[in-house]
Amino acid sequence: MNPKKWKRLLPPLVAIFLMLSIGGRAMADDSSPAIASVQKVSGTATVVRQGQTISAKIGLEIWKNDTLRTGPDGSIGVVFNDDTSLSLGPKSVLVIDEYIFAPREKNFSIILRMLKGTAAYLSGLISKLAPESAHFETPSASIGFRGTKGLVKVEVE
Amino acid sequence: MKSWNNGFLSWTVFCLLVGCSANRDLIVLLPDPDGRVGAIQVTTKGGSQILDQPGYATQVHDFRQPPTAPQPIEETTITSIFGKALSAQPDPGDRFNSFILLFESDTTELRQESKELLFAIVKTIKNRQAKEIYVVGHTDRVGTELYNAGLSAKRANYVRDWLILSGIKSSSIFVSFHGETKPLVPTEDEVAEPLNRRVEVMVR
Repeated sequence: MNPKKWKRLLPPLVAIFLMLSIGGRAMADDSSPAIASVQKVSGTATVVRQGQTISAKIGLEIWKNDTLRTGPDGSIGVVFNDDTSLSLGPKSVLVIDEYIFAPREKNFSIILRMLKGTAAYLSGLISKLAPESAHFETPSASIGFRGTKGLVKVEVE
Repeated sequence: MKSWNNGFLSWTVFCLLVGCSANRDLIVLLPDPDGRVGAIQVTTKGGSQILDQPGYATQVHDFRQPPTAPQPIEETTITSIFGKALSAQPDPGDRFNSFILLFESDTTELRQESKELLFAIVKTIKNRQAKEIYVVGHTDRVGTELYNAGLSAKRANYVRDWLILSGIKSSSIFVSFHGETKPLVPTEDEVAEPLNRRVEVMVR
């Protein structure tokens, strides 16, 4: 390509690059599957996604349907797009069954299914804007969080 | 070693007092970083239990039975069971700021302290360069549900209009309203409760 053609292409290319890099906090972001990110991690902690096991590291994106797992020495803390915060202690397994945070459409839902272990949960905007839409499910119970902080332990023999 | 023994001991005492069996869920309510306390509702096939006092816990022994009545749980017990999960909590520093504006009865008139709080809210929005402001209107249970739905909407819109006049972009403001259906302080119908006549503003 001759230099003249390049120069003409440059401004539009720069504009496209700028648009792609304007990230910031995802809100009703259909293009990115990221609904949360890992903020703290210690010991053995993994994310299982579509059959693949990913080692959890700070900054790792979390997607809907991910399974969070911690080993006997592990713990993990994640923050969701609506500021809901979730942390797991050792020997824990939790699946993100549902996550919708779309304020423009007034569509909100968070369903976390905990199979075992210990968790600390701090409600975010979903719980504030639609208190009936934030749930923890355990093998025995359904736990509704209304704008608050709570601890959940699930023990399976 | 001493603290482990202490925690284990208090857990054993807790178990003896309330009864602990093989498969169980334990749910504890805590205050949030601002000191506010919400509520947790635990529902099994057998029934439901609400936790609304911080430092209280309920257990599920059997999914066919309702959860147990709330019992206080010691700090040491909490630490021995949840210590690691608690230390892995993300830093709440970046979280949204939350404000409550209170209104006079049956009006969109703010109480005096809340008029001043409105200025503080605008300041926070500008300092944080906030991109999202959520404005949620509520009422107490005096009046019909329909009337209160309208009143809560008027209150939310009043606050929104005020924010826009203060220079906040209207596209960053999300307004919703819940009438009398989501009280801060649960009351019987037709009971006046100043704390429920409110607009909650979340900023981030």
